[in-house]
Amino acid sequence: MASRPRIGVYICHCGTNIAATVDVEAVTEFAKNLPGVVIARHYTYMCSEPGQALIKEDARKLGLNRVVVASCSPRMHEPTFRAASQEGGVNPYQFEMANIREQCSWVHHDRDEATAKAKALVVAAVAKAARLEPLEDREVGVTPGAVVIGGGVAGMVAALDVAEAGFPAYIVEKSDHLGGHVADLNRTFPDLEPVAEWLPGLIERVQSHPNITVFLNAQVARVEGYVGNFEVTVSGSKVSGSGLGEPGTHSLQVGAIIVATGYKVFDPHRKPEFGYGLYPQVITTLEMERRLAEGDLAVDGKEPEHVVFIKCVGSRDKQLGNPYCSRVCCMISAKQAQLVRQALPDTRVTVFYIDVRTFGKRGEEFYDEARRSGVRYRRGNVSEIYRRGDRVVVRVEDTFLRRTLEVEADLVVLAVGMEARQDTDEIATLLKLPRSADGFFLEAHPKLRPVDTAMDGVFLAGCCQGPKDIPDTIAQARAAAASALIPLLRGTVPVISETAVVDPELCAGCGMCVEVCPFGAPALDPLWGVSRVNAVLCKGCGACAVTCPSKAIQVRHFRPDQILAQVDVLVE
Amino acid sequence: MQADIQELAKELGLGLDLLGCIQCGKCTGGCPVSITTALNVRFLVYEALVDALPDLGGMEELWDCTCCFTCVERCPKDVRPAELIISLRSQLVESGKIPGTIGDALMSIFRQGNPLGFAREDRAAWAEGLGIKSAREGCEVLWFVGCVPSYDMRSQAVAKAAAKVFQAAGVDFGILGTEETCCGNEVRRVGEMGLFEMLVEEGKPLLESVGAPTMVTTSPHCFNTFKHEYNLEGMEVLHYTQFLARLIEEGKLTFSGKVERVVTYHDPCFLGKQNHVFDEPRAVLQAIPGVKFVEMDRIRERSLCCEGGGGRMWFEGTNTEERLAFQRVHEAAETGAEVLAVACPFCMSMLEDAVKVQGLEDRLKVMDILELVAEAM
Amino acid sequence: METTEFEPKIVAFLCNWCTYTGADLAGTSRIQYPPNVRIIRLMCSGSVDPTYVLKALLDGADGVLIGGCHPGDCHYQSGNYKARRRIIALKEILKQAGMEEDRVWLRWISASEGQRFADTVRKMTEFLKEKGPNPMKREWAV
Repeated sequence: MASRPRIGVYICHCGTNIAATVDVEAVTEFAKNLPGVVIARHYTYMCSEPGQALIKEDARKLGLNRVVVASCSPRMHEPTFRAASQEGGVNPYQFEMANIREQCSWVHHDRDEATAKAKALVVAAVAKAARLEPLEDREVGVTPGAVVIGGGVAGMVAALDVAEAGFPAYIVEKSDHLGGHVADLNRTFPDLEPVAEWLPGLIERVQSHPNITVFLNAQVARVEGYVGNFEVTVSGSKVSGSGLGEPGTHSLQVGAIIVATGYKVFDPHRKPEFGYGLYPQVITTLEMERRLAEGDLAVDGKEPEHVVFIKCVGSRDKQLGNPYCSRVCCMISAKQAQLVRQALPDTRVTVFYIDVRTFGKRGEEFYDEARRSGVRYRRGNVSEIYRRGDRVVVRVEDTFLRRTLEVEADLVVLAVGMEARQDTDEIATLLKLPRSADGFFLEAHPKLRPVDTAMDGVFLAGCCQGPKDIPDTIAQARAAAASALIPLLRGTVPVISETAVVDPELCAGCGMCVEVCPFGAPALDPLWGVSRVNAVLCKGCGACAVTCPSKAIQVRHFRPDQILAQVDVLVE
Repeated sequence: MQADIQELAKELGLGLDLLGCIQCGKCTGGCPVSITTALNVRFLVYEALVDALPDLGGMEELWDCTCCFTCVERCPKDVRPAELIISLRSQLVESGKIPGTIGDALMSIFRQGNPLGFAREDRAAWAEGLGIKSAREGCEVLWFVGCVPSYDMRSQAVAKAAAKVFQAAGVDFGILGTEETCCGNEVRRVGEMGLFEMLVEEGKPLLESVGAPTMVTTSPHCFNTFKHEYNLEGMEVLHYTQFLARLIEEGKLTFSGKVERVVTYHDPCFLGKQNHVFDEPRAVLQAIPGVKFVEMDRIRERSLCCEGGGGRMWFEGTNTEERLAFQRVHEAAETGAEVLAVACPFCMSMLEDAVKVQGLEDRLKVMDILELVAEAM
Repeated sequence: METTEFEPKIVAFLCNWCTYTGADLAGTSRIQYPPNVRIIRLMCSGSVDPTYVLKALLDGADGVLIGGCHPGDCHYQSGNYKARRRIIALKEILKQAGMEEDRVWLRWISASEGQRFADTVRKMTEFLKEKGPNPMKREWAV
């Protein structure tokens, strides 16, 4: 069946990432003597152009038919090296990777131990490579269109880009209106532009776009399929020209999904020391936003003499399980403090802070403006609030003065942070998305794939991935739309070639594979009484292969002999 | 040095995490004595972090800390600042540089099993003729009376009330009598780790040997250390307010009388802030017929410390003029309450003193919850 | 020096989507763990054939770790549940056969749980060190 193996083995230094811990030369020398190995080399960066050229040249000159690269995780560069192998005339599925960075050099200190482990991982990869068979790349067509979950700014912007590119976009919004949290804002930093000047226009563009369909009071009930061909079941009301339709269930066929479910505002009841809900003088930045919009800053009918802002409420707090910075509260406080100074020039405004983090374009300048407007910044994380007459007392240490103060205030504004929404769990389960430790959705790679997820065809936009301000949200939404457009514009997506296949000679037609498959890929051939796999439906999970009593059904690239060959050499 | 202190804290079993500190000031901002004394725990952490701690011997304010643990409860980075103070105190204890009155208390605990200087054999004298059995005979509930209720005249009344209440509710309880020895909660907090270890080593097998499934303590301080620092096996530790709330809920504790008074309640730090027992004491008070329950402003997580914990029962503090207990009794009086209810012998002592000094005796009476319950039986 | 400490060999069958990625995260986070584990990548914990585990044990692995997605998180809907049923059955068979079933560990470790992966490897290594070398290989050879 398979040709006699002629294997090329390439050990990557990854700069010093691998070479500092693993003796790459020793591993190379060792690999040279492994069965089937024709050549073994090591190189600084195998993923670089010259690194890949080594594979291609060797493959052609030496007639290689298998390639093994020992470098990083296959989740990182398997596609790179498969392509290089193919260019060298080796079937890309006869390529195997040994992960000696993530699973070796980065997690072990001892050079001898790491080198020994690297050797073992290379032996296993070589053993598997020798048994790999050539496979064909496969592609399937893509259903044009995208579902966008969430109708806040992120969701609307992403949907508009998809729609503008000429594809249908479906917005699924849980509430009864578009706009999300931004609709509750008055003016935005750092330009103090009223939200009313741009948000209604954005909503109007979305609602009137011929390619966009909006569902309100709606939720995603079910997601089936895979990148290129998702079937999304939505329960909710469709918005049409004549208004909101009757609630119902809608089945949407799309090629990509954009998750833009946003965040939850931190509930300061969870910080009992601030007396939120107990004292009318203590409010959140969101409530302040409303008051500023209405121009009503009075407390008990009186103009406040002293307004205090408290930062980092619900953020940077390990005890709450929110260790992260919410990234917007410093700017929101600077904005609101400034607006109070503008509206009430005689009112004292104090911002208590741990650190001032007004990063971003025009952020520091905005902080400068806030101080110049007369806002007093004092360093100290407020510890407690209690009542004194009609006013409240803010108990805080001014850490520069090294003195604990009891500051009286008429209005205290808690700069509340962002948290992952409670329904993040449901969405994560529906779409099989992993979450990071902070509860937000986890991107596929923190730097290289910031809007992708572990699920092909599902992308992240806005605060569902982590706290961000409006410019960052929009930038990410447009990035998510651009990424979602790649399969839509290509019209096809690659699908796995590592599918299950039945040996009809061995198959007894018991139908256990049919039972066990969650995707309906195998079916019994009525004429021959044996199982046959529909490769388009097969996802390659291998449930059938384990179940089959006669081992007639196997998954290509993960055949028992290929696995057992690895076990064999690993336990030696 | 910074590493030394972190290492020392670890050895002492303290969860101090100096390197986690961002110097935000939440600890000092909430520290009850940070306004009235020179103690600044945030700055101490900083000095420890940058190896700039001054000579501890001259730092009398280290003994001002009441170990209320507000700083620990609120620290956003889990630094546990109070445990730095305990670590530093332990260094002073090692070198013998401790206030004389604290030294006397520790010596008394070592010799007599109580900090008050009384003889061990008199520990159960208060219980004579009350028909309280020895826990040695076997019992469902081991009642740990505690040092202050055993010897202090005012608190003995609370112990007697407890006995009356438990008996009326038909509780099968016993006490250890003269075998009972100081729990060591304050011993640990003043940094006398050696003595504390000894108390645990001797106390743990003694308490476990009773074989009672439940232990009830009079004091939140005993409750705290038994619950968290003794690792008692097969024994549930309850403060008496939790136990009474349970008896009331199960219908085992019923009232025949009434207490027609306006009552407010002061949360003890070792029960409230540190163990989040806020609701049970209030439930008990509100179950007493006739009681009109009112709240002060600073309650529960925001309760004001009475300054009796962390060794402060034996050390006046560096500021004897401005006492938090003085402020507290005024807060209680302002609610219109006639009774300031407490659930801790230390709070009882500090607040009752304050009522006298502040001349509020004709307006406000400090009573333990147990006394109010007993009055309504 | 004198005697070298026993170093157990652990073969790990990890699902591509969760635990393999979690192991990668341990790497990118530079979380150190003992080098005793050798990872074999499979697409799903549900494709771990009990014969793979048996083969590993009989050939001399001191422990076998099967890592999959948390319940409800399977990329293939229910592969991890299938793995759980199968591994429970396998362990029962091992027990009946007088073999040490506690050398087989099934753990749910997600893509974001690099620390948990490292901790699992550390715990398993310590456990197997305590337990000593796998006697099954020898018995089988006789």
